[in-house]
Order: sequence, then structure tokens, then C-alpha cells
Amino acid sequence: MAAGELEGGKPLSGLLNALAQDTFHGYPGITEELLRSQLYPEVPPEEFRPFLAKMRGILKRWGFAMLPRLILNSCAQAIHPPWPSKVLGLQSIASADMDFNQLEAFLTAQTKKQGGITSDQAAVISKFWKSHKTKIRESLMNQSRWNSGLRGLSWRVDGKSQSRHSAQIHTPVAIIELELGKYGQESEFLCLEFDEVKVNQILKTLSEVEESISTLISQPN
Amino acid sequence: MEASSEPPLDAKSDVTNQLVDFQWKLGMAVSSDTCRSLKYPYVAVMLKVADHSGQVKTKCFEMTIPQFQNFYRQFKEIAAVIETV
Repeated sequence: MAAGELEGGKPLSGLLNALAQDTFHGYPGITEELLRSQLYPEVPPEEFRPFLAKMRGILKRWGFAMLPRLILNSCAQAIHPPWPSKVLGLQSIASADMDFNQLEAFLTAQTKKQGGITSDQAAVISKFWKSHKTKIRESLMNQSRWNSGLRGLSWRVDGKSQSRHSAQIHTPVAIIELELGKYGQESEFLCLEFDEVKVNQILKTLSEVEESISTLISQPN
Repeated sequence: MEASSEPPLDAKSDVTNQLVDFQWKLGMAVSSDTCRSLKYPYVAVMLKVADHSGQVKTKCFEMTIPQFQNFYRQFKEIAAVIETV
């Protein structure tokens, strides 16, 4: 029976994966017919359509609701190591457990609704989200950034040596290559040269940025 | 003593640029058409760089907080190394 077909675990996992590719990662060419024929060939199209819409809706709703807490959580984790305990307060508020509790509550409510999902489906969706949320979060962030992002950074330090033509003696220089790129576009490489004085100037500026970040994170809002 | 034609050591190669200015701002993305409740902080940087001819260009980019942390950490490493050279 078709309803039983829709409850299976493995095809649902594949479906969620494909929907995530389409919704969050911008992967082209994922059509309803492709999904149905690949994953649920026994199910007639008119039954598959509402089912697909339901799963797509559940996934999208997470993108909306789950994102902010996940971002704050990962920020706290990134800053955590040498930072004072007031920042760690944030971490407990935005802990992963809260995400999952909310998730479980949401899914349970869905299973109780008329025309909602089965508990088997809820289990598959829960498993899928736990393993994919980081990737989905990053995708959503990247898509909303229209400036170039920093894709990579590499550097080396050269020591200049004395020459009879130049008064410079032994001035080391740092060569830094930044890889920048806009979402969906090729990278641009920017190569910069710094002497020791400049490096320390930048360091001072960066410590001001870090100061700003810790002020922002510690302010409840 | 043979006259050698050494390239002047101060010549900047065509490839590397000098950093003229570094401006930054800490922003918070609140909402977008793909996600109503974004709420993520980011560091936006505007660099002014001068190439070997002296021409100044502007480069802008953004970093997430973890990316910024890595950026900062790398600069600290560079400072440590350049000190010892």
C-alpha cells in the first residue's frame, strides 16, 4: 500500500538529503519527478506531491527557526578557550541540548497532528538534522553574504639580506596571500607584504576587533 | 671586481601589494529572504592596498567569527616568527 511505502526509513533519508541540496546548497536539477522515480517509484505522483511538500516545509522551517541559536552556540565555542566565564554563560544558554529538545518537541507535535508524520519518519528526520545542521547553517550564512568571503590565508616570512646597493640590513618581511571569493564565484588572490612594524600595527587593530566581539557576545539581547 | 646588475632590493614585485589602510566593522546579520531569523555576527574588512605602481585599490571581504579567530591567530604566529628572524 502506498502509505506504507512513504513510511520507509532509507528513501526518506535520501529524500531529505536531496531536499537539503536543493533548498540550502543550491544544487540544480532536483525535480519532483526525479525524486519520486529515484526514491519512491511505487508511489503515484498525486500522492507523492503533498508528501514532498510536507517534508520540504519541515526542512525549511528549521532553517528559519534553528539557525540563530546554532550560530550563537558556534560563536561561543569559537571564542571559548581563553575567554572569561561571562562568555561561557552564553554557551550554556545556547547549548546544543536546547536545540535538540526543541527539535524533538517540534517533531512529536508533528506526529500527533492529523495528516502529520509518523514516529518512524520523525526519527529519520531527527537523525538527518543532527548530522546535517552544521552544513546547512553554513550554506545559509554563505548565501546571505554578498561581499567576498575569506576562503583561505597562507603566509611566509622572508629575511632580506644585506646588499652593497642597499642600506637595508636584515629586514624580515611577511608575505601573506588572502584567498577571497563571492558565493558561487571563483577565488581572487590578494598578496600583501608586511614588515615587522606593520604586522604589529595590524595585530593591535585585530585585538580591538576581538574586544568588540567579546562585548557583543556578552551583551544579552 | 665585476659590475653586477643587481635588482634593487626595494622593488616590490608585480604580485605583492602594500597595505595602506585596514578598516573594519563588526556587523550582525538579522534577517534575509532565505532565513527570517539569521542573527549571526560577522567581521567586515575594507583594505586599501597599493601595488608596485602606487595605484591604490579597495578590497572588501567578510569573515565569520570563527574565521576571524583563525585570521587573528595566524597574524600572531606571523608576529612571533618575524620577531625571531
